[in-house]
Amino acid sequence: MKILTTVKKVVDVELNIHVESGAIVEDGLQYVINAWDENAVEAAVVLKENNGAETTLVSLGGGDMTDIIRKCYAMGIDNGIHVDDPALEKADSSVYAKVLQKVYETGEYDLIITGKQAQDTDSGQTGIMLAEYLSIPCVSNVIEIQVVDDGNIKVSRLGDAGTEIVEVALPAVVTVSDSINEPRLPAMRGIMMAKKKKIETTDLAGLGTSYDEVGGNALKSEVVEFMKSETRQAGQKFEGDAAELAVKVVDLLANEAKVL
Amino acid sequence: MAKILVVADIKQGVLKGSTAELLSKAKALGAETAVVAIGSNIESLVPELVSAGSDTQYIADDAGLELFSAGPFATCVVEAANQFDADLVWFGFSESGKAAAPRVAARMDIACATEIIDVNLDNGIEITRPAIANKVLQKVKVNTDKLVAVVRAGAFEADESVSGSENVVKLPAPEADLKAVIKELLSDASGEIDLADADIVVSIGRGAKDQAGVDLVKGLASDLGAGFGSSRAMVDGGFMAHNKQVGQTGKIVAPTLYMAFGISGAIQHLAGMNGSKVILAVNKDPEAPIFNVADYGIVGDLFEVVPVLREEIKKVRG
Ligand SMILES: Cc1cc2nc3c(=O)[nH]c(=O)nc-3n(C[C@H](O)[C@H](O)[C@H](O)COP(=O)(O)OP(=O)(O)OC[C@H]3O[C@@H](n4cnc5c(N)ncnc54)[C@H](O)[C@@H]3O)c2cc1C
Repeated sequence: MKILTTVKKVVDVELNIHVESGAIVEDGLQYVINAWDENAVEAAVVLKENNGAETTLVSLGGGDMTDIIRKCYAMGIDNGIHVDDPALEKADSSVYAKVLQKVYETGEYDLIITGKQAQDTDSGQTGIMLAEYLSIPCVSNVIEIQVVDDGNIKVSRLGDAGTEIVEVALPAVVTVSDSINEPRLPAMRGIMMAKKKKIETTDLAGLGTSYDEVGGNALKSEVVEFMKSETRQAGQKFEGDAAELAVKVVDLLANEAKVL
Repeated sequence: MAKILVVADIKQGVLKGSTAELLSKAKALGAETAVVAIGSNIESLVPELVSAGSDTQYIADDAGLELFSAGPFATCVVEAANQFDADLVWFGFSESGKAAAPRVAARMDIACATEIIDVNLDNGIEITRPAIANKVLQKVKVNTDKLVAVVRAGAFEADESVSGSENVVKLPAPEADLKAVIKELLSDASGEIDLADADIVVSIGRGAKDQAGVDLVKGLASDLGAGFGSSRAMVDGGFMAHNKQVGQTGKIVAPTLYMAFGISGAIQHLAGMNGSKVILAVNKDPEAPIFNVADYGIVGDLFEVVPVLREEIKKVRG
């Protein structure tokens, strides 16, 4: 089986993010691998270990991806492709999906695993759109993947009414939730080996396409302004005897906030 | 006049509140409204769909639609959107909506936005949505004539005075997706209060420690008739079902009162509950980030605090 996973480099959500005059202040930001993509990478490596597979990751976007691709190598990914095209800095989900479609077409993959969303946009669209453009099945928000045979997998998806067990014919796209696994911490040996592995770098022309063809010159939507989110203020915090505080807080909830 | 199609949010045969919220917002924008309801044995929902504020009801009612399958679901939405010539197609905040919206957008070749909290139609279509785990808001300009969007839970309020008119249009049953076949549904326990509907949500985190802790706080939740939720830690720990998880990967809730017991307040958890009207936090650690968003905070051991809270609440509620 040939598995393709997608990896995006995103702003570290654990750090403070400042907004000034409609834009995010770059100063002080750090970039990390999207957490849900790490779950996708782990899922691919687990399938490789249990069922045998060739695993390839692709990362889209300008800039240096060496650190995150090497991290995925150290986790057990076999091949890495970086589509390094500055034009992709300005892209919507549909554009990303169309670029991934080109990557898919060069590799004849059986299974594409993506994170359910990216931590910078929180959009959750790319993997699903990719499947639509490729006219192949897609199951999103997946928490378990089992191989049935060469042509089929069985996945569990968290849906609105419960856990849905879905049998999927390959090739297919699966987007994973963080509930699927706990990404491994790479071992030292893996880290050392990862340093020696090469990363294939290409761009849109290298994929036989152009920014125009993937819809980059006719973005369906674009962010025009960033704003601070309405942050809550810390309220009253009490320390002391638990019983007394409980009495006091119930009184406040009932008579001040009027929510009881 | 804009035309807004709302996809009815139906869970286990019940019409969820988000449908009325979205239709109310559509009416407030002065739009012509329609709803598309997809499922099996759902025609009895028509009166509710009308009173929720829809002027046309597209109904896809077929035995094959009983279990959710994103492909056929999207086919029904596209069919309704085309028949109605909708400018905006809105989904409520649900896993079905999140799965179907990008498909609908791809098939209609129009823009898609998830988790929108506001929309402005004065000059084309512009929406507002949170990003980066709720740390920022972004204003997004839509360049296509039409938009498919998933509306974030709690973004719009239902207006009781809104109503619609009955005009039922039946949709053909879509073809089944033979390449992604749902074999089984392991249903969530029924009879429990859906977190999304609850006026009060009581949640536990790793601080509840064990089954005794879970049961203790659950007792408080049932006293209050509240939804009983949790952080991911307690789901991972096997104490709580997946559908009880509050946060970015779970449910987004905006109740009148959210009570967090033994929850540290990780950014991914806050993203699911910081739209609550009032937040109470109980945590042993005075530095826990949950206190930064809590209106009322008790620094203390939940095992000592909860029993007293239960007694006191019984007193004030009678
Ligand atoms: C991609 C991604 C998505 C995620 N999605 C979610 C999500 O949807 N929802 C979610 O919740 N998390 C999510 N997480 C996990 C999140 O980052 C945190 O790990 C998780 O929320 C922590 O849960 P917790 O607060 O219960 O546990 P902890 O962080 O361990 O906190 C336990 C708290 O309990 C307190 N405590 C201990 N004993 C007591 C006591 N006796 N009385 C009172 N207080 C006590 C401690 O002081 C501490 O603050 C996600 C993470 C990632 C990477």
